[in-house]
Amino acid sequence: MTDWNALSDDEFRAEVRGFFEAEYPEELRHLPHRPKFAEIQHWHVKLHAKGWVAPAWPTEFGGMGLEAAKLLIYYEEQQRYGVNRGRDMGIQMVGPLIIKFGTQEQKDHWLPRILTCENIWCQGYSEPGAGSDLANLRTSAAIDGDDFVINGQKTWTTMAHDATHIFMLVRTNQNTERKQQGISFILAQMDQPGVEVRTITTLAGETEFCEVFFDDARTPRANLVGEIDKGWSMAKALLSFERIFIGNPGLAQNALAQLETFAKGRGAFDDAVFRDRFAEVALDVEDHAALYSRFADQLKRGETLGADVSMLKIWVTETYQRITELMIDVAGPDGSTLGPLQIGNIGVDVLASFYKARPSTIYGGSNEIQRNILSKAVLGL
Amino acid sequence: MSTEHEEDLRLLRDSVSTLLDRAGGVARARRVRDEGKGRDNDVWRELAEAGVLGVATPENAGGLGMGLSAAGVIAEEVGRVIAPEPVVPTLAMAIGLLHRTCPDVPVLAALIAGETTLAVAWQERDLRGVSETIDCRFVGGKLTGSKDWIMGHADGAPLLVIAKMDDGLALVQVAGDAKGVTAKSARQSDGSAQYSISFAATPASVLAEGPLVAAALSEAVADATALTAAELLGLSGAALELTLEYIKTREQFDKPIGSFQVIQHRAVDMKIMQEIAEAAVREALTVMDNAATPLVRLRQASRAKARACTAAQQITRESIQLHGAVGYTDEFDVGLLLNRALVLSAWLGDAAYHRRRWLEIRDTEEAAQ
Ligand SMILES: Cc1cc2nc3c(=O)[nH]c(=O)nc-3n(C[C@H](O)[C@H](O)[C@H](O)COP(=O)(O)OP(=O)(O)OC[C@H]3O[C@@H](n4cnc5c(N)ncnc54)[C@H](O)[C@@H]3O)c2cc1C
Repeated sequence: MTDWNALSDDEFRAEVRGFFEAEYPEELRHLPHRPKFAEIQHWHVKLHAKGWVAPAWPTEFGGMGLEAAKLLIYYEEQQRYGVNRGRDMGIQMVGPLIIKFGTQEQKDHWLPRILTCENIWCQGYSEPGAGSDLANLRTSAAIDGDDFVINGQKTWTTMAHDATHIFMLVRTNQNTERKQQGISFILAQMDQPGVEVRTITTLAGETEFCEVFFDDARTPRANLVGEIDKGWSMAKALLSFERIFIGNPGLAQNALAQLETFAKGRGAFDDAVFRDRFAEVALDVEDHAALYSRFADQLKRGETLGADVSMLKIWVTETYQRITELMIDVAGPDGSTLGPLQIGNIGVDVLASFYKARPSTIYGGSNEIQRNILSKAVLGL
Repeated sequence: MSTEHEEDLRLLRDSVSTLLDRAGGVARARRVRDEGKGRDNDVWRELAEAGVLGVATPENAGGLGMGLSAAGVIAEEVGRVIAPEPVVPTLAMAIGLLHRTCPDVPVLAALIAGETTLAVAWQERDLRGVSETIDCRFVGGKLTGSKDWIMGHADGAPLLVIAKMDDGLALVQVAGDAKGVTAKSARQSDGSAQYSISFAATPASVLAEGPLVAAALSEAVADATALTAAELLGLSGAALELTLEYIKTREQFDKPIGSFQVIQHRAVDMKIMQEIAEAAVREALTVMDNAATPLVRLRQASRAKARACTAAQQITRESIQLHGAVGYTDEFDVGLLLNRALVLSAWLGDAAYHRRRWLEIRDTEEAAQ
């Protein structure tokens, strides 16, 4: 097996880029929506054959075992070429938790199925009453013989209608002093009588997220990951990598490239006002990338990241939104037209980008919550 | 403004808002969109019966002669419930053009009575967007050329078209199923259809021609622009109201999210934005009513649209943010408001376009002094 970490950064980047350019299906580049698995299965098969499904996982579990620096390169190239991340909640979220906190049986059972996508995962954290205040969650799991019996409701569950399994935070103890106590992390199968999924249509007319109702749904007690009632700190123990990943420049860089193509086609660069606004967002992206590499270097030196890494997410999502808003301004009289706007033989879907940027300041810890964290933990206010 | 006029406007607002709320409010816009109909004929008839469509048309042309301020009140109410019917395009463009150029044609009375609707096709596309010139030609009774960004049209319906004729412009009427008509529609963010239509030696009848047409077009576009600003104003007011209601009731961390200071400040900023927009739009309409020169009217229209677009965009985007994930759903009304704001901002020039126009007109006025 290749030791990717032994390559120089440049060699590794060339390797990744070469693979994506040679193998990634053209029709899947820069997909404007979240695909169902069937749509990207042919790509997943190739990725799996190459052994590249889980870049961050240790090699012993079938991952690439990439160190932080290499991992960033992998994701940068993925974003740059418009490679869809696929149905990666298993890879990104539940896999790492099982690797860290799971039993040997859990690792043996679940990890290979995540890699093959035999199991496709969705994330059941949020509830109608538990958004920013996640610890307020009420969905309960009560022990009944060898099973947990689950009752309650999850919501905003991305792609739950195309998932075979859900990893969730549930309340296993009602009598605790603090809301954060008594929460456990469990895995459950979606296809069973007690689970009902209802898709939610977004304002963009897409059905990407769902409500999931649990009415005496069951899951074996063996599907508890980590200690009972101790799920909160486990789920919160975000790897520092995830915290930098959500602030990576990719989305903003892609949107900027799209803006540039579109604006050139529309002749907007002849306009002094546009030039200034373009330069402004372009520098917002470039300078964010500089701050991002400062944090990335910290990771490369093996340091853990502090709460200040949240700055990246705030800046990049708000820049991303401004870029897509600028695209609408360039579209002018066509700024409310759905679907791709033609520039020569390229179509730029301005509204799809605008819509996609909207919730980036809401999910992954809203920007208001991130600012609260920064002001407390970093500024000491 | 006289208190009598103010009282009239208040009564007008009450009757239109009652009518639109009874018809179903914002939820009706979602229903009409989902049914794919584009409009609700019963509501259209009721609006016409209430005198809405002829409100700004002089009495001697069959209207109520209440002026743009009154039309602005109606547009605000239409915006508040994002009524899908083409009130502003009909009132300001179709009726506005006809009453200025040919007040005696029977179709004007039919439009005011809500018995028919006519979309107006005047803008043309060039590589960058809206062309500065009109190239669609009317020669020997036949129309040739293409038009874009046609609002309030429906498949096969008749149209009013502005075309070049001899050295000037002509206002002509075309049957939707006439020979040589090719219509394409593009779905907009609010679910409505916007049309591009081309004509190839299409038979059409002239309603008006000569210098009068260009002047009427400019006036009608100024009215439509200012009234679209009023519609946006109603819309952003509705978004603000929904959001205030939501942040007072949505609880996280055991309190209403509206108790967090950051949310309070953001809500206050939205409120200020809304009040500034309201003051600007209403003042612009009043100035336009008071026999201002064409240039002043154009400047005021641009001022109103620039402000209302900015306010509506900022307020609807911020509304989504303060709602959290529910704001991103189709089920909650804020999303509908955001999608409608996109349409009204794009139509007749966005904020940047109108800021530029405002300054150009001011330059022209200064040069003339
Ligand atoms: C596109 C999308 C996909 C998602 N996918 C998933 C998924 O797969 N699984 C899952 O579990 N969840 C998912 N979520 C849910 C996401 O985690 C929540 O939306 C997020 O936690 C915010 O919660 P909320 O939407 O209930 O907003 P609320 O918490 O109700 O917040 C509403 C507003 O109040 C602000 N606010 C709240 N508290 C404070 C405070 N203390 N101080 C200042 N401001 C505050 C927020 O910033 C926001 O602006 C998704 C959300 C979106 C939009």
